[in-house]
Amino acid sequence: MTVRVPQQMKQQPPRRADALAELQATLMRAGELLHSLEQSASRPPPTNMAELEDRLNDVVQDRDALSRRLAEYEQQTGRLMNLYVATYQLHATLDPGEVQSTIAEIAVNLLGAERFALLFWKGDGSECEIALAQGIENDETGYYRGGRYAGGDPPVDATLTDGVLRMGPFDGSAAVAVVPLTVQGAVVGALIILKLFEHKAMLRPEDRELLDLIAAHAASALFAARVYHQTDRKLKTLESLIQLVKRG
Amino acid sequence: MAPRKVLIVDDSKLLHRMFEMMLRQYPLVHAYDGQEALDRLAENGDVDLVLLDMNMPRMNGLELLKAMKADARFQRIPVVLVTTEGSDEQTQRGLEAGAAEYVKKPFRNEELLAVVQRLTASPAA
Repeated sequence: MTVRVPQQMKQQPPRRADALAELQATLMRAGELLHSLEQSASRPPPTNMAELEDRLNDVVQDRDALSRRLAEYEQQTGRLMNLYVATYQLHATLDPGEVQSTIAEIAVNLLGAERFALLFWKGDGSECEIALAQGIENDETGYYRGGRYAGGDPPVDATLTDGVLRMGPFDGSAAVAVVPLTVQGAVVGALIILKLFEHKAMLRPEDRELLDLIAAHAASALFAARVYHQTDRKLKTLESLIQLVKRG
Repeated sequence: MAPRKVLIVDDSKLLHRMFEMMLRQYPLVHAYDGQEALDRLAENGDVDLVLLDMNMPRMNGLELLKAMKADARFQRIPVVLVTTEGSDEQTQRGLEAGAAEYVKKPFRNEELLAVVQRLTASPAA
C-alpha cells in the first residue's frame, strides 16, 4: 500500500515530516498485515486439527497486530489534525486580538495550560511586555507584574536571548515550558507555560510538536496581523484627510 | 438510520474547527455560549447529542445543562461535558446536573470520538 504525500506537506518542518513518515510506515504495515490475512484465508483447507490451530493462532496474531497498528494510526491522525487545525486557526484572521486568542486557546485546550504568559519584547528592546496571560494575577514569583516581565527567571531569560525552546522541569523556576516566538530568525517574545491543569500531569512527547508549531507560526501570524492593522489604520486616516481636503 | 445531529457549544473557534474535522460523518450545529445554544436547540428539533464546554460567556455550561434538563423538549438529549474543569467535585457537579459523560480537555481525539459514537449509537430519545 502506498500513500502519496502532497508536495506542500513534504516541505513541512522536520517534526511534522517525521510524523508523516511514521504515518506512512504504519499504513504500509497495516496493508501488509491485511495482505497476509487475505493470503491465509485463500490457503487450501487444513487437513488436521493441529494445522487448524496453527492457522487460527496466526490469524489471531495478525488481527491483534492490525488492531495495534490501527490504534497507532488513529493517534497519529489525531496529532496531525491538531497541528493542522492550530496552524489553520492561527492564520485564519488578520485581527491581532483574535490571533492572541488563538494562541491562548491552543495553550489551554490542546496543551492543558492552566497558567501561562505571552511575552513580547518592546520596540526598544529594553523589556518584555505581557501581551496575554492567564492565572498570573497572584504571581508569587514577582517576575510577572504590572503588565511586564521583570526578568530573572533563568529559562525564560535564556530563551528570550537564544531563541531555543525549553521544556521543564527546571531548577529554580516554576516554568513548565518556554517557547520562543521568532520572526525571520529574530526572537520577538516567548510563550511561558507556568502550570498545567491538575488532570494533565506533564507535557507529552506529542505536545512538543505543538510547541514547535507555536514557535514557528504564532509570532509570524501575530506580526502579520499587527502590520495589517497598522496599515489599515493609516489608510483610513489618509482617506479621512483626503475627504476633508476635498470638502474644503 | 439517518446520521445523528450533534450540537457543539464552546466559545473557542479552535475547538469548533477541530470538532468539524473529527466529526465529519455527523451533521453539526454550532453555538458559542449557552444562550445561543438554547436558540439552536429550539431551531433544530432533531439534535441527538450536545458537546458542552463549561466556561462560556452569557450562560455557562452548567446553567445550560440545568436549563435543558428543566425543559421537556431537551431533557432527554444526552450531554457530554468537554471542559478544562478537572476536579472530582466539578465532575460530580456536572454529572449530578444530568450530564451523560465528562471529558477533560485536553482530550485525545479517539477518546472523544469513542464517547460520541457510543452515545449516538443508543436509540434516539
